Amino acid sequence: MSQELAKNFTLEMEPNGSLTFVATDGTRTEKAKPVRLFPLTDPESWIAVVSSEGRELACVEDLQTLPEAVRTTLLAACGKRDFVPVIKSIKSVTRAANGHTWTVMTDRGESIFQTESDESIQPLGQDRVVVIDSRNTRYLVPDVNKLDPKSRQKLERYY
Amino acid sequence: MADARSSVLRENATPPAALISKPATDPAETLQAHADSLIGAGERVVARLQTDLNADLHFHQGLIVLTNQRLLHLELGAGPRIQVTPWKLTEVDELTLEEYGATAALNLQNQGSGIFHWRLTGGRVREADSLVAKFRAQRKLALANAPEETDTEEPEPTEDDAGGPPRKALLRLWQFGQPWRNQLVLAFILTLASTWAVMVWSYLITPLTDELAQTHGPVRKEKVLLYILGMAGASVAAWALSWIKTWLLARVSERVASQLRRQTFNHLQRLSLAYFNKKRTGDLIRRISSDTDEICFFMSVNLIGFADDILMLLFTAIYLLNVDPTIAIVALGPLPIVAYLVNRVREKLRGGFAAGSRAWSQMSSVLTDTIPGVRVVKAFAQEAREIERFRAADQLVLDCNDRVNKTWSFFSPMITLLTDAGLLVVWGYGAWSVAHGKITVGQLSGFVILIGRFYARLDSMSRMLAAVQRAAASAHRVFDLLDVKPDMPVTAETKSVGRLKGEIELKDVKFRYGSRQIMRGVSLKIAPGEMIGLVGSSGAGKTTLVNLVCRFFEVSEGAIFVDGMDLRELNVEDYRRNLGLVLQEPYLFFGTILENIAYGKQHATREEIIAAARAARAHEFIMKLADGYDSMVGERGQQLSGGERQRISIARALLINPSILILDEATSAVDTETEREIQAALDNLITGRTTIAIAHRLGTLRKANRLVVMENGKIVEIGSHESLLEAGGAYARLHEAMMEVTNG
Repeated sequence: MSQELAKNFTLEMEPNGSLTFVATDGTRTEKAKPVRLFPLTDPESWIAVVSSEGRELACVEDLQTLPEAVRTTLLAACGKRDFVPVIKSIKSVTRAANGHTWTVMTDRGESIFQTESDESIQPLGQDRVVVIDSRNTRYLVPDVNKLDPKSRQKLERYY
Repeated sequence: MADARSSVLRENATPPAALISKPATDPAETLQAHADSLIGAGERVVARLQTDLNADLHFHQGLIVLTNQRLLHLELGAGPRIQVTPWKLTEVDELTLEEYGATAALNLQNQGSGIFHWRLTGGRVREADSLVAKFRAQRKLALANAPEETDTEEPEPTEDDAGGPPRKALLRLWQFGQPWRNQLVLAFILTLASTWAVMVWSYLITPLTDELAQTHGPVRKEKVLLYILGMAGASVAAWALSWIKTWLLARVSERVASQLRRQTFNHLQRLSLAYFNKKRTGDLIRRISSDTDEICFFMSVNLIGFADDILMLLFTAIYLLNVDPTIAIVALGPLPIVAYLVNRVREKLRGGFAAGSRAWSQMSSVLTDTIPGVRVVKAFAQEAREIERFRAADQLVLDCNDRVNKTWSFFSPMITLLTDAGLLVVWGYGAWSVAHGKITVGQLSGFVILIGRFYARLDSMSRMLAAVQRAAASAHRVFDLLDVKPDMPVTAETKSVGRLKGEIELKDVKFRYGSRQIMRGVSLKIAPGEMIGLVGSSGAGKTTLVNLVCRFFEVSEGAIFVDGMDLRELNVEDYRRNLGLVLQEPYLFFGTILENIAYGKQHATREEIIAAARAARAHEFIMKLADGYDSMVGERGQQLSGGERQRISIARALLINPSILILDEATSAVDTETEREIQAALDNLITGRTTIAIAHRLGTLRKANRLVVMENGKIVEIGSHESLLEAGGAYARLHEAMMEVTNG
């Protein structure tokens, strides 16, 4: 393929919190970022590391193949960036001036947000739904069937 | 065989122009029937062509019949006569087709001199063309004295079989109801039962009223209670029965409608590109969505109800006649007037709803035109014009509905008036009868209730008229679409193929679209893995050539061979699995990027998809999107640039690993910088695949092994960039023109 991707690399967390990528030959790339390729449908695998200019440095399908230390650093770096609250229950959805106002309980606490149109609620394959609010935050419902019946009823009106 | 020959000889022994009288009916049918009667044993019809003009270009029906032995010309002579002119194939030389814009001419020649001359309208040119081809083939066979040949007559496409009356369309619905036959019968029985339960009321009301109105002795409470309980029971039974019936019917009709929708959509998917080019999207959408819904509504609400009403009317009439013939006849007095009205109104409504349906389609067409084309509308500041266009379309809908409503608004109260008249007559006659002691008050009450129900039925039946006509119009439109024959004839025994090497050979390919000749004999051999660059001015036939290779269109003459096999003999789906297509305007479906790349290979692993995206230079920009490969694209999705969309479509083509690759102006919609990116992606794609690339920017074809220059549906030059420049022909001119544009 077009680029050579590193197989055996290490990652270092700088004191200021930025990530440094160290290739096999020792070349260091500072301010590297982890990118989840499938943040909504498969967040646990397929994580790429890219440079600050967006060049791909490494791409890992299965995190278990990484050495323990690298994996921990990578996940820590991901943890700093990831923000996809998972909706646990929906308290209310009310019609607002421009779209709808949602009050939900997520794995990161309660949230009140606005959606703009029906297109803000997108089904992703079977039973998985993502709600995108007006500030572009993604709220994930990994499995509609696992919501409590009342929440599911509220959600079903929109997708 | 000997018998056949002698019959031909006998036929030929008669003078060439035989006059035979025939009763006049439909001229085309008459000619056809007569032609069939002329075919001798052992003679086989190979092709038929209806001609529709005479030499002076006046409309005149004629028929040309080509058999394996003769060419026959039939036309209507003076009066009810048919004029027949036969020629033996061995006696004539050549049949040629000439086009004169809206009309065309067929010339039959022998030894350089014309024998016969036909004229026909442009719409028949395609058939005429195939007749000429078949004539040549048959003549060769006849000359070679090989009368047996496998080519049999193809069924001619009948254009006007869609013109059947709407009623038939409704009857055809039955075929879709077949799988639920039992449920439908059950629903009907339930309907009958509930109708009967309702009738218990009028049966019990007579003794009840009589009991209350009797003057000898006190009212017997237990009897009254019994009657009331009986009536209550009947009501409950009717309620339960019609509940089940309604549910059952709604269920079945939804399923029938869904079946109809699916079948129509399946059918639509099988139709060729040429069909979609002709049709308006809005109209097709409407046929599959609202028209089927209309049918569903009709079936769940009206169909059984209608049957039930008829039966109920019959029962009531019989019951009434039994009880008191005079009062029955009096009460049924307005019936003939109603019947007359119904008949009159039906005709009007039918036309009105058909027009309404068409108007709706037109309106949806405006919407499907304007909404996706909103950028053009805004760019040219034509909002007002589109508003006007929509207003005009909507006005049409309004007018059609007004037309129906005008009839309707008169009809409906009229029926009510007539039923009231019927009831009044019963009251009047009943009062008189009671006064004269002919019947009891109870009998009168029973009658009034019964007649009331009778007229209510009549009323609802007449109201259904609208629903029936509406559903008929819808059913007609749906079946219209279902009846379109795929114009890509599926040969019975198609070869299924696996992976092809990708050798393509075009042998004297001609193609006609409508009456326009677009390909005028193209021959080209492309080796496996070779890249061909197709150049030429717009309209030269480049895209048509590619469409023919993709088999979106069928060649009119000549043939295309892939790996030495005639394309027409291959299973289309198998063949297309070997095709990768990258178009100028990449189309992304609504869905995630992942789904879009995996479009041609649903079960591709994430690894394969990412690899394809990398090769297509799409991976890096996808990683920058907030949702990565889960980003929504397509109609309502993420805004991607033209280059990005193109790279996704290249990844899509790469993923299926095609052996033949078609690039139709893949880079012409983007800027030079993006073009370089795409070019790099394309270079990955091209390697090891037979590639046909169309490009206006000649630079994009630098990797091509050969450049093919087309002009006017023909290949004019083939060679490398340098050799063509040296030759100083068409390519050199194109190149020069392009240099002027880029430098100027």
